[in-house]
Amino acid sequence: MTNEVFEKIKRAIIDGDSELITSIANELVEDPTSLNAAVDIAIDTIRIIGSQFEDGDVFLPEMIFAAETMQAFMEVITPHLEGGSARVTGTVVLATVKGDIHTIGKDIVATMYRASGYEVIDLGVDVSPMSVIQAAEQANAQLIGLSALMTTSMPYQKEVIDLLTELNKRDKFWVLLGGGPVTPEYAEDVGADGWAATAGGAVPLSEQMLTTAGQPTTTEFFRAEK
Amino acid sequence: MTIERERVLEVLDKAHNGPVYEERDFNIKVVSGSIKKAVKKYSLEKTADPANPVNMDDDLADRYYQAGFDAAVDIGLLCRDTNRVITFTREELQAGIDAAPVEFWLGEGDQRVHYQHREPEDTRLPVWTVPLSIAVTEDVFLPLVEGLARIPQVDALEGPSLETVWGRPLRSGSPYELLAGRYQADLMREAMRRAGREGMPMDAVGSSTTHYGVLGGYGVPGGYRPAYDLILILSIADFWTSYESLFKLAHASVTGGKYISASSWVMLGGYAGGPEGTAVASVAYTLLMIAAFQGSRIGVPPFDIKYMGNTGRRAQWTLGIANQAVSRNTEIVVHSINNQVAGPATKMLLYETLVGMTNMAASGVSNVVGTRSAGGRRTNYLSPLEHQFGGEVYKAAAGMSREHANRIANTFIPKYEDMLKEQPDGQSFEECYNIETLEPTSEWQQMYDEVRDEAIQAGLNL
Repeated sequence: MTNEVFEKIKRAIIDGDSELITSIANELVEDPTSLNAAVDIAIDTIRIIGSQFEDGDVFLPEMIFAAETMQAFMEVITPHLEGGSARVTGTVVLATVKGDIHTIGKDIVATMYRASGYEVIDLGVDVSPMSVIQAAEQANAQLIGLSALMTTSMPYQKEVIDLLTELNKRDKFWVLLGGGPVTPEYAEDVGADGWAATAGGAVPLSEQMLTTAGQPTTTEFFRAEK
Repeated sequence: MTIERERVLEVLDKAHNGPVYEERDFNIKVVSGSIKKAVKKYSLEKTADPANPVNMDDDLADRYYQAGFDAAVDIGLLCRDTNRVITFTREELQAGIDAAPVEFWLGEGDQRVHYQHREPEDTRLPVWTVPLSIAVTEDVFLPLVEGLARIPQVDALEGPSLETVWGRPLRSGSPYELLAGRYQADLMREAMRRAGREGMPMDAVGSSTTHYGVLGGYGVPGGYRPAYDLILILSIADFWTSYESLFKLAHASVTGGKYISASSWVMLGGYAGGPEGTAVASVAYTLLMIAAFQGSRIGVPPFDIKYMGNTGRRAQWTLGIANQAVSRNTEIVVHSINNQVAGPATKMLLYETLVGMTNMAASGVSNVVGTRSAGGRRTNYLSPLEHQFGGEVYKAAAGMSREHANRIANTFIPKYEDMLKEQPDGQSFEECYNIETLEPTSEWQQMYDEVRDEAIQAGLNL
């Protein structure tokens, strides 16, 4: 693969050009030997955009377009990747919990996951605990991410974990918590598996979880670095 | 003035008959697209000047108003329960603005408070409402609110927010919230009585974001008073509204409510983009909240998504120009919020307060609600002293020139801007105060004294 193609991939993601990236991806799958290198370039690019977003140099619409472009790229490429790909991805169910309609933080986390190749089931806002669990089971998800932006909605994060435990389903999912008033101490107290301070922290935290042997309930508490 | 039922019905009708949008399309196509269009039409690209956080250009502020007005007509409010957009024509929007009061009184007896329109550099005294709805434990609620009500510069009470009700977790959208509505009114009154300030105006209901707290606490016997207190209608996502807010509007109407606080916030770095787009969005959302909710006190301050506050340079610039745009071009009572990130018993919290309050006083804000001690992140992390300082600064800055406020911003922002992402929590109320005597620790008092002296040296008549 030439540097020119690398640059085209980067440019298409930065510009949020899904049409161009799909055409590049369709050409690339003709020669599967270069696919992993192309994916690496795409991942590097989206991570740079994620960092720029966290630094305030790129704004949400641009990041969403970039993530959607990345997603379009991966949809074409993924079926052709060799089994030896080192990339860790999974399925994550995301929700802002019941009684809370804050959306933007959860939207950003969803974008970050999608950009990293995860399948994201975004349940939206004001989602009841049982709906979260049912959706996670239905999607065969490994991860559940719960956002709460109010102290009065935080109890519903705990309620999802309590329900999972009472239904003997706790060991099926990694549960991550986030949101302005949610502290790592709180996340640990209520029995979550992880907490991330920022949207950017959720993806590496998930990778850490998914590469760890053992079931969710038997592992130690994770904490993403700021 | 009372809430007009016909206007309530019109808004409800719009929420059920307006154009249908999926959330993603509304956020990206309608919000982002309309804001970009307005920024371009009024040549606002690259007009943000974070090196001078307090805008001094009237013409620029007026262009932001015009851009915000256009964007408001283009965008509307998405009702998330119906997925329909509540839209207003230019004439409807203007009629809503014209119908909003220029002034009003809240509270009773010798605690009545005059809320009035202010313009940039206005000498008229602004109103200081405390605290924001930061979570506190039940044992701390009364002494804390008593300590706040004892502060002479404090005019009205809003928060804090109860973490539990009679020992049970306060769950959003549950019947606990309904109970909390009335419970908080009782506790606030008792705190006022202890402070010797019975009759102060209150904002209903600090502990409950959803409508349940309002249903349980506003306009019920012994609860918040429709004639003397504000009812809080707070939309919590950019250009969204919901049945929650519409329930509050309807409840205000049927209980004889007179004054609504219609507010929200916009995310700087979010769907509206950078400072220019976010300032346009702030103006647009403010105008929509007046039209939709018959607001008497209205405001939509920015939050910088980088650190979830607004005391940094680009957010202060956004805050200032948006407030100037609205206060120069309407006669409404503008409300705003200073979103600090540092906690009590830190100098940083006081510096953030100093910068934000002078900017808002000089930019025509009539009523600030604060302080967001520790960014509202931690239970019990707020104390009376930062609220006293906020009130002293805000009132002393009435009549201050924007040039002076800008000098203050440039003097004090460098003292904390590198720490906006570190966000020191400081100390909890119990750690930095003697709860029995309601006196701060000597360490916290000394920090206050030192920063107060610095503020005086910067030209504030404290």
